[in-house]
Amino acid sequence: MTSAFMAAFEILSFGAIIVLIVLGLGIIASMMGIFNFAQGEFVLLGAYITYLAYSHGLPVWLGMAAAPILVGLLGFVLEALIIRRFYAAPIVAMLGTYALGLIIRESVRGLIGGFYLTVPEPIGGSIDIATIHISAWRFTILVITALVMGGCFLLLSRTSFGLRVRATLENPALARASGVSTNFIYGTTFAFGAALAGLAGALIVPVFDLFADLGIRFLIQGFVAVMLGGVGSFMGPVAGAGIIGALSAALPWVIPPVLADVLVFLLAIVFIKCRPQGLIAQGGV
Amino acid sequence: MPTLEVNCATADMAEIAFAGQVSRARRVLLIIEGLVLIGALVLPVMLHDYLTVFATRVVILALFALSFDLVWGYAGIMSFGQALFFGSAGYGVALLARDLDITSILLVLPAGTLIGLVFALLLGGFLLLGRHPASMIFVSLGTLTGAYAADRLARGWYYLGGQNGIPSIPPMTLGSYELSEGSNFYYLALGLLVIVYVACRFLVRSQFGLALAGLRENEQRIAFFGYRTQHLKAIVFAIGGAIAGLSGSLYAFHEGFVWPNMIGVVVSTQVVLYVLFGGSGTLIGAVIGTAIVEGLSFWLSDNYRDIWPIILGVLLLLVILFRPLGLISLVLTERERVGSFAAKAQDKKRAQHHAAS
Repeated sequence: MTSAFMAAFEILSFGAIIVLIVLGLGIIASMMGIFNFAQGEFVLLGAYITYLAYSHGLPVWLGMAAAPILVGLLGFVLEALIIRRFYAAPIVAMLGTYALGLIIRESVRGLIGGFYLTVPEPIGGSIDIATIHISAWRFTILVITALVMGGCFLLLSRTSFGLRVRATLENPALARASGVSTNFIYGTTFAFGAALAGLAGALIVPVFDLFADLGIRFLIQGFVAVMLGGVGSFMGPVAGAGIIGALSAALPWVIPPVLADVLVFLLAIVFIKCRPQGLIAQGGV
Repeated sequence: MPTLEVNCATADMAEIAFAGQVSRARRVLLIIEGLVLIGALVLPVMLHDYLTVFATRVVILALFALSFDLVWGYAGIMSFGQALFFGSAGYGVALLARDLDITSILLVLPAGTLIGLVFALLLGGFLLLGRHPASMIFVSLGTLTGAYAADRLARGWYYLGGQNGIPSIPPMTLGSYELSEGSNFYYLALGLLVIVYVACRFLVRSQFGLALAGLRENEQRIAFFGYRTQHLKAIVFAIGGAIAGLSGSLYAFHEGFVWPNMIGVVVSTQVVLYVLFGGSGTLIGAVIGTAIVEGLSFWLSDNYRDIWPIILGVLLLLVILFRPLGLISLVLTERERVGSFAAKAQDKKRAQHHAAS
């Protein structure tokens, strides 16, 4: 009973981490049609900013609060300077963002060296319920993920900004004709996606440590999750991420971890092949 | 009807101008190819032994780049997992040498090519064929995922040597002669590169190659002409896989070991860099791109090991933004990528025209 509960928590919390990372990727892919290869590096930057704050003696939570803002700003600037040129050609966009990611990743690698750097959890210890101990920080991540997800959903479905974003997604020409500044919307959406990645990086760095390939580790899982869920909606990628995250955490309990990894990808690709529109077909938020 | 005559005349003039443009571009291309070949032939004479080893590696990688160029530059299939075929062939021949003591060049190179071909047929067949035509994004992410999964499998599987890969592969043999790295290996690799290059050249200049270029430019129109676009794509993907397999098996024997990076995302993206740099859709662009990127990296990584990948990223970004067709587009026009119907016939027509006037 206890171990079953522990396993469930483990699966849930890893699923939450993947959802958090995929959220930004999914928003950028759905709203702009760009598969952003630099997303993993935005995660890395978020983690790095948190580490910088910690190593300069500032409280960790301050770094975590600053990370999404700074990464979001960087995303806004990059969109205006570079990404904007790629909208017409999705494959070129992949290559361009890959080059951007390469630059960011190698810069960070140069700054931190080849080390694994640890950052302590801002909320340490564990939560005890009877005989069960669960990590307080992982529980916090779970809660924050739920809040962020709810916030994004409300932002897109209930506010006038969300309406304009969805209008731009649906029909850019008509949106422009109706007086929506699509360029501004694209810029903000990209910055928002980048900020989410920065937040994800900041939150997971106490769990996974900081190393230069932190972002790459999640990038391909993220892409598969977005494809699985379906591009073009908000809920699709989230659902896909939940499934990929839960499967990745659950399968190693039953089969050897190496096979589990490969099996998750295989299942996902076969599913996407049979149902190219993804779990949740276009429509709704 | 004077107007019609005038129209005919201008059309004729345009055709002649066009044919002239094509044949001029052809000449430029031939000159570049000749220069590269002569340079490659005399290189080992001028270089130290250890640089010959490096040059051999570049030639093998150029062969690999050719396979990617065929797939992306001609058929427009973004294969982010080309290393899957390169690496699986490398692992395959390494296992042949380690477990079965098969090192004869006449067996291992065909075996590597076959492994690449089979893997490419399987993956390409799965991703490209089927009831729903596959989107470009799906194929590129599918190949990427395939390479990543293979990388993970190679890392975790004890039989394949795990993280360390398979070390100390014995050298290739031809009869009793052992082919170790050096100028002989260099000329072998170069000879194979030239053969494959000429074969690819023949392929892309054929009707099939024209259909491929059309496929890249406007897939729907080619489909309306009655071509089975998905089949064409699968065929060229398999050919690319076979070439990657050949270069992978050469690479394994040249380096003397194989390791998981060779099959995964790292090498897959490296080959994308080569081709983008040189210029996709021109075969010589892939070869030149490989030589430039590897040469720069060899030269810079001595002194600037840490910042070299950053420079590479910046250069790549600049090329994508300002020279999307690669460095070769500085000397060759876009026409070369598109190909043309029977340039020879047009030349003949022009000659007749000249004779008449």
